[in-house]
Amino acid sequence: MATERDRGRLAPVVDWMENLSEAAYAYLLLIPSFGLLALVAFYPLISTFWMSLLEDQTRGAEPLGGFVGLENYINILTGDARLARQFVDIGFTGSFPFVELGVGFFQQALFVTLAFAILNVLFTTLIGFGQALVLDKDFRGRRWVRVAVIIPWAVPIVIQGMIFYLIFQPTVGFGADLMSWLGLFGSDPLASSQDSFFIILIADVWKTSAFMALLILAGLQSVDRSLYDVAKVSGASTWQRFKFITFPLVLPALLVAMLFRTMDAMRVYGLIESTAGCTTVPSLTCMVVEAMFGGTRIFGTAAAVAFMTAAIIGVFISVYIVKFRDQEGGVY
Amino acid sequence: MAAETETETIEREATGEQKGEQERNRGPLERWVGDSISDPGRAYKPMFWLVTIFFLFTTLFPFYWLLMVALTPEGQLQDVWLTPNGFNPGVFIEVFEILPFHRYMFNSFVIATVATVIVLLVASLAGYVFGRLSFPGKGPLMLLVLLVSFFPPAAFFIPLNDLFNTQISILEPVLSDGSIYNTPYALIIPLSAIFMPLAIFILTTFYSQIPDGLEDAARVEGTTRLGALFRVIIPLSAPGVATAGVLTFIGVYNEFFFSFLMTDGQPQSWAPILDGILGYQGQYQTLYNAMAAASIIGVLPMAILVVVAQEKIVSGLTAGGLKE
Amino acid sequence: MANVTLEGITKRYEDVTAVDDMNMEIGDGEFVTFVGPSGCGKSTTMETIAGLTKPTEGTVHIGERDVTRLPPKDRNIAMVFQNIALFPHMDVYDNISFGLRLRKYDKDEVDRRVEEAADIVQLEGMMERMPEEMSGGQRQRVAIARALVREPDVFLMDEPLANLDAKLRVHMRTELQRLHRRLDTTIVYVTHDQAEAMTMSDRIAVINAGQLMQIAPPLECYNEPANLFVAGFIGSPSMNFVEADVRSGELETENFTIEFDPATTDGLAPGDRVTIGVRPEDVYLERTADGVEHPSGLIDARTDVLEPMGNEVFVYLVTGDDADTSMDVEGGAATDDQLLMSVDPDTEIDIDEDVSVVLDRSRVHLFDPDTGTALRHGLISAASATGTPERGVGDTD
Repeated sequence: MATERDRGRLAPVVDWMENLSEAAYAYLLLIPSFGLLALVAFYPLISTFWMSLLEDQTRGAEPLGGFVGLENYINILTGDARLARQFVDIGFTGSFPFVELGVGFFQQALFVTLAFAILNVLFTTLIGFGQALVLDKDFRGRRWVRVAVIIPWAVPIVIQGMIFYLIFQPTVGFGADLMSWLGLFGSDPLASSQDSFFIILIADVWKTSAFMALLILAGLQSVDRSLYDVAKVSGASTWQRFKFITFPLVLPALLVAMLFRTMDAMRVYGLIESTAGCTTVPSLTCMVVEAMFGGTRIFGTAAAVAFMTAAIIGVFISVYIVKFRDQEGGVY
Repeated sequence: MAAETETETIEREATGEQKGEQERNRGPLERWVGDSISDPGRAYKPMFWLVTIFFLFTTLFPFYWLLMVALTPEGQLQDVWLTPNGFNPGVFIEVFEILPFHRYMFNSFVIATVATVIVLLVASLAGYVFGRLSFPGKGPLMLLVLLVSFFPPAAFFIPLNDLFNTQISILEPVLSDGSIYNTPYALIIPLSAIFMPLAIFILTTFYSQIPDGLEDAARVEGTTRLGALFRVIIPLSAPGVATAGVLTFIGVYNEFFFSFLMTDGQPQSWAPILDGILGYQGQYQTLYNAMAAASIIGVLPMAILVVVAQEKIVSGLTAGGLKE
Repeated sequence: MANVTLEGITKRYEDVTAVDDMNMEIGDGEFVTFVGPSGCGKSTTMETIAGLTKPTEGTVHIGERDVTRLPPKDRNIAMVFQNIALFPHMDVYDNISFGLRLRKYDKDEVDRRVEEAADIVQLEGMMERMPEEMSGGQRQRVAIARALVREPDVFLMDEPLANLDAKLRVHMRTELQRLHRRLDTTIVYVTHDQAEAMTMSDRIAVINAGQLMQIAPPLECYNEPANLFVAGFIGSPSMNFVEADVRSGELETENFTIEFDPATTDGLAPGDRVTIGVRPEDVYLERTADGVEHPSGLIDARTDVLEPMGNEVFVYLVTGDDADTSMDVEGGAATDDQLLMSVDPDTEIDIDEDVSVVLDRSRVHLFDPDTGTALRHGLISAASATGTPERGVGDTD
């Protein structure tokens, strides 16, 4: 019989796999992905987490000291960690606004990262939405406009950094002169924390708006066009069509895009490293890297900063997850 | 509420028409303005082009300017603006003479290609499981995949770096000194893992939309469950697979953190393009023009990929459309 | 060619039992249809034969082989699906030859078989079309051809006509019958459409709530339903059901009485409660009841609604006063006060007319109202029966 024809040596394995229950089969197929994740993510994370509970050992052969529990975390939060710059440095005062900053806002890793992430997601969403609406229209040359809009997103981070570094480099570029002439930046913006923050923001919005545009465009294209005809017939204006049809239907795609953008923005590092440098604009990841490779051997603290960064990202993500719950049709 | 706004709009449009009639015997500009008020669609077109041109300018100008910097001869790099200070197209050859930039690009290509293949294979299995099977623990496992994306890459680095520098005797026949550091695997392994979650999410969405009947039909016709995945589900999800592949390839090619730290930066140690570009920063002087030229060369493959694949990416991300 | 045997097939999901201890023997070359309401477990049963679902308990045999643990590909079956399930990325030729190519048949053999199958379902000259370029009927033919080329032991068809329009469905029905005659292969067919089940099958298996209610030739299911479920499910519009008390020699309902031959009292004792079942075509107007050999006594009724169907007229009758006239959504009489009657289209009858009707006693069924099991088919003694002979009560299995 034909069915018996090609049953080779693998037949027992194949039969075994075919007879697995759905759950067992599912777990079997997840082995490669979770194996890879275990090696590259879970094992290092657990190992790093363990490190974060150990004392920094700045001298001696062993890189880490004894178990100190959550002390590293507490030191970071209270500003007592052996970091070049504090995670967050605020004091409480008796008068309005009851808080005062130890060092400038743009030198505090937590604030820099939060401000960067929020402004980044805000601007990329607005610009990305604009771009997506343009790309959603049918017009001559759309293909090339699309390519042009998407290209920044395909630029390696180091080249993105390079471009904006050169633009704002006082001798080579025009950006520094232009902005100081406009009165917005100082004469050497890449040396100023505040100016550099905005340079990095602009650079990242330039690159990642395209990603937003792509995902929103995908959402727009899956909207049933006949809905617009229905709306037109019932007399909805362009704005009303956007508000009552386009926006609600694109919202799930938009939330997915914003979720990925938020996670990415919270981890910003490469762009900073290749433009202003981590000393000027200290993001959370910058702090982890500096603590790990800064030569001061504060591995325990570095690991704790890494986990706190993840925790902060986690808090933001849970906001989205709650949003997804409200939003029926969210896949994830 | 909705009904109210509808009637309002209709009334507004009606009065607008009357106004349009009154203004018929005025000058052309006034008429255009009047018409635009009564019919916003008319004003919309020029506005649309204005916005489009604005977007084109903002996205493309940095590239144009980078080209100007590259064309400016070394030593005249002051305040480059709309034109190069001088003209030195030879820089695009010089970059390969100063450093083996082609080797860096080759390294990046190999790493990105292999990582993409691994990600597509492994994520396909996971996407199939998450998209089509139901089993206890599905939600938590998916969340675990997402959780990996929360951590800054630095959180993985030290243990991984230790691991990759460990000499593992069973690897000695394959790798020169038995450690993974300074081999392509040092980048391929972590980058595959880091870009896998996105691919899993995309493929999960796609594979879940293939009707059950097709998988059943394939199995009855003579494939195994795994065979049905490769013969029917994956081919039918081609746009999704292409999208996941392109996103992974671009992601790996563009990655910074591991690319920066996982090799010693030498081209023969499989250092990627990033080290090539930073390589023009010498100890005493920085060759900005060469850096710019190398950047343009480095972006070109991605630009070509975007030109070729943009339609696929968009349609791929438009999850849906596949019906029986 | 093979028979299919199900022994104690049970499929339980976490909290539901989809199939409950199913036993049946499908003969070689037989056309058996699983019919039942949606969610009754008929598709799950078929999936256990296909191997797409593994039963929690029980065994499946195809021919002499125990295939319970075999994957679908090794069962030598072919299946046609409700949603047709053609591979959208393959043309007609590739779709039809898919299974053969997987089994690495010679190119010539594949060509020969594809040609033959295409010939049977009249698809010549369409080999290069893609599924999306074809009509629903053509796609269904491709799906059938894909099953044919494999020359399988058993054909499984899971509502293959459900997605076609009504006219095409009737046409394909006859084609499938012709096909079965020609191939003489075992066919297991799932449908929720009883017309399909009645017209095509050698036997139909009526399934409800995961249990086999009756497996018998279509007319036997119609004439001698094993229980209330089969009686109500088979036949459209549905059988009339009226609750009654058994008295000596007669059945007394709320609004009328029917006498039965006291010679046969087996299973019935005065004081028992029974459910009377009678099909609309076995209710006659008194004035046209001359041909009925075993008429019941007269039942007074009033016509309520007329449904002229062209070839017959359905008359909704109300018996008794202050009758409850709420209708059943499925059609047919819904309450004990209603009686549905089918009469010739040229019968003169009006709405709100007082009429007298009789039942054909030889065609009246009695059921146990609690268990639903059929007690008697026909209220006449076996000796005096001239129509369908009393064959005893069907087995409920």
